[in-house]
Amino acid sequence: MKTDGMQIAELKAELERLHSASFGWALSCCRRDQTEAEEVLQTVYVKILEGKARFGGESSLKTWLFAVIRKTAATEYRRRLLRSFRLTGDPEEMVERFAISESQSAGFERSELQGHFLIAMKTLPRRQREALHLVFYEDLSLREAADVMGVSIGSARQHYERGKKRLRESLATMELGYGINWGRAGNPRAV
Amino acid sequence: MASIGEEQEIRGLFSELKLADEQTAPGFNTVWHRAQGRSLKPRRAFNLSFAVATGLLICALGTLALWSMRWQPAAPASASARLSAEAGSFAPESDKSPTVARASEPPQNRQPLVKNRLHRLVSPQHAPEIAGNQQLTKEAKAIASWQSPTSDLLSSPSDGLFKSLPQLNENANELKSFLPNRENDKEK
Repeated sequence: MKTDGMQIAELKAELERLHSASFGWALSCCRRDQTEAEEVLQTVYVKILEGKARFGGESSLKTWLFAVIRKTAATEYRRRLLRSFRLTGDPEEMVERFAISESQSAGFERSELQGHFLIAMKTLPRRQREALHLVFYEDLSLREAADVMGVSIGSARQHYERGKKRLRESLATMELGYGINWGRAGNPRAV
Repeated sequence: MASIGEEQEIRGLFSELKLADEQTAPGFNTVWHRAQGRSLKPRRAFNLSFAVATGLLICALGTLALWSMRWQPAAPASASARLSAEAGSFAPESDKSPTVARASEPPQNRQPLVKNRLHRLVSPQHAPEIAGNQQLTKEAKAIASWQSPTSDLLSSPSDGLFKSLPQLNENANELKSFLPNRENDKEK
């Protein structure tokens, strides 16, 4: 299937089916900023409609779409950052402002555990966060995740393993009581 | 086993997050229609920053061109002065080229407007260079009008004889007219 004029209806149906997952991925790429994620998704649809993003059929539609979302989010982020730098002129102030907007967009109605989980996710490096999201949230295989991230499967596996380890450590540091003893599961005798 | 348990726990957290995201996700049709509206919008004819950059570039090039045009008269004058200085010692006054002649003209004959502009444009850093050029022009003028004081000694009344030659097809009598007539002198 290719994004030609004749098949746009078919593509639209596929995009609609993947819309929820696409929005979740866009959220992850936009550091959980809902407005930005929506804008990125809209831009991706515009790219598809205008033929700037074409599905060549080399991979699955989901993998291709996620790769487009990832690239678009990166471009939008750079553009926004540049625009904000131009307006403020102070990089430190800009970083602070971004941090505030991120915390505001995190969602106030989430449980404490989810809040801690989100904070722990944000502390992860981008690649590790992406690998975990694609595997656990989107149920992609490591190969598919590697395709979306634009890295080799070995590199994706490394990001995935390191991300898991780091997330576990972060959650353990926060001393979550979710009925889970983070980091102690391997040793039942440990108190 | 422990890692599998951990993975399931992480997966549980992610699925909880996914459920929360699905509730807040915008409708597909909303985003799609907005995207369609955006793609149908006529694009801006030009990028503002690109236009500004192009304008600045054109202004800079124009200024440079104007500046170089105003500087051009000064350079040939100094070059011609040097030329006349070199050529003046060899060439006689009548053989002076138009360039040399123009260089030897008094500066009052030149266009005063250009001169004034030049003076306005010339920065104090270039003042010694300009003064040097003027000095060269004066020297060139003096050299071009110079005449040797001994040039009269090189000319004589019998210059016509030395400058004409007998023709090969002339008869003997005619040839004799070129020779000194010593016998006749003796007879006389």
